[in-house]
Amino acid sequence: MEDVPKTMAASAQAIAFPAGGEGKAQDWELVRLCQNGTAAAFEELVRRHQQRVFGLVAGILRRPQDVEDVAQQVFLKAYLGIRRFDQRAAFSTWLYKIAVNECWDYLRKKKVRPLVYEADLSEEQVSRLDGIVSSDRPPQSPSERAEVRELLDRILEALPEQDRQLLLLKEMEGFSVQELAEMLHLNVNTVKVRLFRARGRIMQTWRRRLKAGGKTGARPAPPAERKG
Amino acid sequence: MRTDPEITTAACPKYEALLEDYLEGDLGGAGAKDVAEHLAGCAGCREAFGEALASARMLRAAGPALGPGPGFSRIVMARIDAAEQQRTAERATFWQPFVSFGWRLAATATLAIALLITYEAEWGRPLQPNLAVVRPMNVSDIFSPDPARPPATSDEVLMMLAENNHGNN
Repeated sequence: MEDVPKTMAASAQAIAFPAGGEGKAQDWELVRLCQNGTAAAFEELVRRHQQRVFGLVAGILRRPQDVEDVAQQVFLKAYLGIRRFDQRAAFSTWLYKIAVNECWDYLRKKKVRPLVYEADLSEEQVSRLDGIVSSDRPPQSPSERAEVRELLDRILEALPEQDRQLLLLKEMEGFSVQELAEMLHLNVNTVKVRLFRARGRIMQTWRRRLKAGGKTGARPAPPAERKG
Repeated sequence: MRTDPEITTAACPKYEALLEDYLEGDLGGAGAKDVAEHLAGCAGCREAFGEALASARMLRAAGPALGPGPGFSRIVMARIDAAEQQRTAERATFWQPFVSFGWRLAATATLAIALLITYEAEWGRPLQPNLAVVRPMNVSDIFSPDPARPPATSDEVLMMLAENNHGNN
């Protein structure tokens, strides 16, 4: 899979897309080029949106081993459907909708629910997370960030699935309320209210765990198989 | 404003969406002022807003998920290329039976035509020459309507009447 087809490599070299500044092509221009058969334009779109698609897929699936595969599938579907994309919405909105649908399809096909943690955080994990949260110093290294993210994922378990996704995508991945509403087919006001309530609930859970001090060790449970 | 001590941690339903906007800094002038005034007077909303702020700070500590590796876009394009090739192959496979049938049909038709021509040439009846029958015509007939035929125009009616009168006289 690492090998790039010669035709695509050649077209990518032939058309240069500046990484920034005034000469930067807009998404809709790249989409138009892509609809006219310029594959290199799509490669540029992939580069621009891969981080957010990755975050979105990771936020919904929470199965790191599958995230890359599903993210690739998202872009493949987008490429195959781009001729039918009429640009009435932003390319990013259209792409994120594909990503959300692809995640749900994937979970349905695999007959698994997103990863569920069966045990509470350990005392050590609670104090570590508390230290990070109250220090105002965000974790620097990728491994530190990954660790904090995993701990926060467990805290977010307290929420219903859709509220968990909303909060995670909003606060960790930086999606706007408008984007979330479009992606998840919800009313903008509903998203705001659910986010606000989810915030309250997550903090209650967090304070309860701080109080309890985390008496049990925590390990992620194996993916729960869906019965029937 | 809520006064029930049991539910002071919950915000006023009317203000939940507005507090979310306020948290994000999405409220302008009058809206922000209204929410600020409400917060000053409502303990429930103040507490809920404090929790919301704390949650934002906590969750943002992790930052976004780790992105894909540097070769991700290339891998995606390679996968797209493979899918395109597969689609082209599938399209060719789909039409292949029709193309094959077409060729067979053309070959059969050619053979049938060749057999027909051979049969006609060897055993068929000789063709009759289609000779035109030339009938001598009286020049006077040109100007008189055919008596067997009914008159078609008013001129022919008049001529017929004239001839009839002439015959009677």
